[in-house]
Formats: sequence, structure tokens, C-alpha cells
Amino acid sequence: MAILKVEHLNKAFGGLLATCDVSYEMQTGELSAIIGPNGAGKSTFFNLLTGYHRADSGRVLFQGKNITNWPPHRISRLGIARAFQVSNIYLALTTYENVRQAILAQQKRTLNFFTPAHRLAKKETSELLEVAGLSRHANMIAGNLSQGDKKRLELAIALGSKPELLFLDEPTAGMSRDETHETMNLVKRLNQEMSLTILFTEHDMAVVFGYAKRLTVLHQGAIIAQGTPEEVRSNQTAQKIYLGEEA
Amino acid sequence: MIRYWWLGLVFIAMLLLPLFIGEFWVHVAIEILILGLFAVSFNMIFGYMGQLSFGHAAYFGVGAYATGLLLVKTSVPLPVALAVSMVTAGFFALVIGYFCVRLTGIYFAILTMAFGQMLYYIIFQWYSFTGGDNGLQGIAPPAWLMTASAYYYFTLFIVIAALIVMWFISESPFGYTMRSIRENADRTRFIGINVSQYMLINFVVAGMFAGLAGGLLGPFNRSIAPDLCNWHQSGVPVFMTVIGGPLGFFGPMIGSVIYTFLFAFVTGFTEYWPLTIGLVIVFVVLFMPGGVLGLAQSKFKTLGARDLRAGPQGPIDTET
Repeated sequence: MAILKVEHLNKAFGGLLATCDVSYEMQTGELSAIIGPNGAGKSTFFNLLTGYHRADSGRVLFQGKNITNWPPHRISRLGIARAFQVSNIYLALTTYENVRQAILAQQKRTLNFFTPAHRLAKKETSELLEVAGLSRHANMIAGNLSQGDKKRLELAIALGSKPELLFLDEPTAGMSRDETHETMNLVKRLNQEMSLTILFTEHDMAVVFGYAKRLTVLHQGAIIAQGTPEEVRSNQTAQKIYLGEEA
Repeated sequence: MIRYWWLGLVFIAMLLLPLFIGEFWVHVAIEILILGLFAVSFNMIFGYMGQLSFGHAAYFGVGAYATGLLLVKTSVPLPVALAVSMVTAGFFALVIGYFCVRLTGIYFAILTMAFGQMLYYIIFQWYSFTGGDNGLQGIAPPAWLMTASAYYYFTLFIVIAALIVMWFISESPFGYTMRSIRENADRTRFIGINVSQYMLINFVVAGMFAGLAGGLLGPFNRSIAPDLCNWHQSGVPVFMTVIGGPLGFFGPMIGSVIYTFLFAFVTGFTEYWPLTIGLVIVFVVLFMPGGVLGLAQSKFKTLGARDLRAGPQGPIDTET
């Protein structure tokens, strides 16, 4: 069964069709990407899938369950996490506290009023910081992290929710070349070793072709091409709209 | 624990206090404790959750009237009356908070204030039940609390117990969830937390402690008036928190010491109290934006209790 199934999803902001009759499917264990120029509707698509925006029509099914227009916290509890394009972290808390917060929420311990938080989820938090390569910054205030580390923290927070399905909105935006590949290798490892289903958006073509097994090209809110990186590369429409603009 | 040694010193000093000061100042000390508890409960919403409640006096007043009415009209023991105050104030906070937590920022502030004023006018008009604008007279504490120092020790005990509970809440996963909502409500939704539900819970808990503080006030003053609920009174914890510092747990309590002491001192020789407190606020806002506690923490790291909004380095605001 498909882990994610999207049927004829539509969303308009005023007169602007941000998502236009999008149908999409993902199998468990996939690592796929959505590409498209700025304003193609990539982020809106993620926002619709995670409950940030309400869809005008269409359905979103997660493991066969209709989650269309559920509020974000309920979608998150089902096992869908997301990392944002602009890192969306707790700037005044430490790196460690950022990650711990996600883990405590996942463990449903946030209604605990009387155990000091610093005694809880120690092992899980340290492990996750290790995975994300943030251990040495554990006690740093997140707002003081470098741009790349903020994005890594963003990813770590998303992983703290122990998702089965992970949406990454431009996970390497603002990263250096080395950082980009480091991060994408981490994403690949998560996909292979933890059998996490991952969908990410990206505008750096090298990143997309190097890692995603399946590409979907979005343009003006609609899907215009889909397939393996090679297929998309040779697709005329996709070339014209996306690759053409890049070149 | 060793870094909280100064709390032990403060505690011993407070135990010995009535031995060294006159009755007038014991009364001032009781008021410092009661209003300090009120302000700390306010800061659960302001400092931790990041929303300005401008109607917090409503729960303070409801608590005061609950205990006051019980003591005047029934023979319920004071501790039971105080518990009823907490529950009643919590109930009002639940009903009012249900609407308020849907909003944030200025809209939250305005709506909390509007509800607060509604309650104020109800209490003000309802002569048969609340005594209306005459207030409620003859609220006598039990015989064993008749002297100023006995009531002081009783208040000290209750306030410290309440502060310990609130301290635990502030350090608990729930307390950190409040910080995370303040820092980034959207992110908090996406890790699976129902933000408005958590805000409501916090609003109710804060209302309950405000109610407890209010409950302590009636037997102390022997009377209460509807003014306790109005928006002037809601401004008191705001001032205290700004003066003491919203970023540390004890900030509002320190603010209460300064505010209440100044009030007692200044009104002894001049009627220009609003001018005085206005100047103090201007001074604090301009020269120590983190309040007294923020300033102290940036000077003496050993004061422990890490700043709410930043880390060991001190508040972000004063850094940049």
C-alpha cells in the first residue's frame, strides 16, 4: 500500500492557483524529490500535506487514512514530520533543548508537570544530536549556530518526532557545497538504514539528480513531469520549463 | 543545588524578618508576598508562554471574593476557602481562556482585558451577592492568624509552597513546552503539540495561582473591594514583572519587593505615587531591559537559574 496518496489536490490563494489538481503517490521506503522553479508551489504542496494550509478540494491519504485538512499536531502524531525551508527552530533554547522538546513531544511527556525536563530523554536526545552531527554544539543557544547547523538542527527536530514519512523543504538551502553533500548523505542514510520514506524539494540540480530515485516536476502548481532523474532530464516540457530556466 | 544557596539565605532572612521590623512593615512584607505570588503567576503567561494578559486581576479578584464570601457567609476553615479560591479562579480562567488562547499578541491582551473588565462590572453591580461597590467587609482570619506576624508566617508558608510547585512546572516538560510555544508556535504544532490546548492549560494553572494570591488578600485586609478585579490591578503584575525581569523565575517576586516597598515608602510622604512608579518604569525599560534580575544575572553568573529567553550569556535583548 502506498504510504502517501494525494488525489486531485487544489489550493488557490485569491486568484492564484498554488496547487492545481495534483495527484501523487509514494511507496514506503522511497527517497524522492519535487523540483520546480521558485513559486512553482512546492512549499504550498508541503503545507497542504502537513495541515498548515487547508486544501480547497482533493484528498490526502496517509497509510490509507484520510488526513485531509487535519490540524498539524494530529498529522505530526501520526508519523509525518517536516523540516522547513527557512530553519524554524527555538532560537533562544539550546541545541540540546530544541531536540529534546521534539522527543518529549513524541514520547507524549509534555503534560508532565513535575519531573525536571533535564532528567528526561537524555539518551535519545544525545543519540539524535550525534546522528545530526550536532553533539559538539549541544549547549549552544540555537540562535548562535551557523546557518548550516541551524538547518541540521531543523532536520534533527523533525527526526525527533520519529516519523515514518519525512518532508524536507530545501534541506540544503544556504549550505556550502561540502555541507550540502554531508547533509544529503545523512538523508540517504536515514532513508536506507532507518527505512524512512523521504520527500524533499530542492533547487540545486546536482543534489536532486545525485540522490533522489524519482523526480516530480512542479510548475505553476501542477505536475508536468514525473519519473527517474534520467527520464525527467530527457523530458521536453520539463527541460523547457525548469532546466531551461536554470541554464 | 549548591548554586541556589542564596535562596536558603533569603529564606532564613524571611523567617527572622518579623523579629526586627515593626508591624507596619510586617504588613508590607505580607503584601509583597501576596502580590509577588500574583505576579509570578502572571509571568507563567507573560514570560513563559509569551503572551501579555492584561486581565490577570480577574482571577486574583475571583480568588479574593471566593475566600472572602466563604469566610463572611460560612464557617469554612481558611485553608479550605483558599483551595476553593484556586478552583473557582481556575474555572473562570478556563471559560475565559477558552476564547483568549485562540488569539496572540495585542489581540490576546485586549481580549483578556475585556473579559477582566466584564467580571469587574459584574462584581461591581451585584450588590446582593458581592456587596457591589461597597465591597465585602469583616473578612476575619481565624483566631490563630489574628496577629500580623502569625499571618505573615502563614502567607510565607503558602507562597513558598506555591512557588515551589510553579518552579517545578517551569522546569518540567510542560514548562519547556510553554517556552517552545513562546519561541515558535508553528514549530511546536509540527512536533505534535496542540498549541491552543496547552496555552489554555497554562492559562488555567496561572489563573489558579492568581486566585490563591487573591484568597490570601481578604483575611489580611479584613475587606475586599471590586477594584481588585479591574484593569489597574491587572497592571500591577505587569509593572512588577517589567521591573524585576520577566526572564527569570524570581523576577516578578523581586519586582514585587521593589514595587510594594516603594509604594509603602513613597505614599508615606507624597501622593505622587503614579509619577514615582512611572519614573521607575522608564528607568528600568531604558537602562535595564531585562529588569533587575536580568541585570543581576548578567553580572553574577552564580545566581544560577538560567535566563528564560537566552542562555548562560544573558538575555538576547541586552546582548545586541
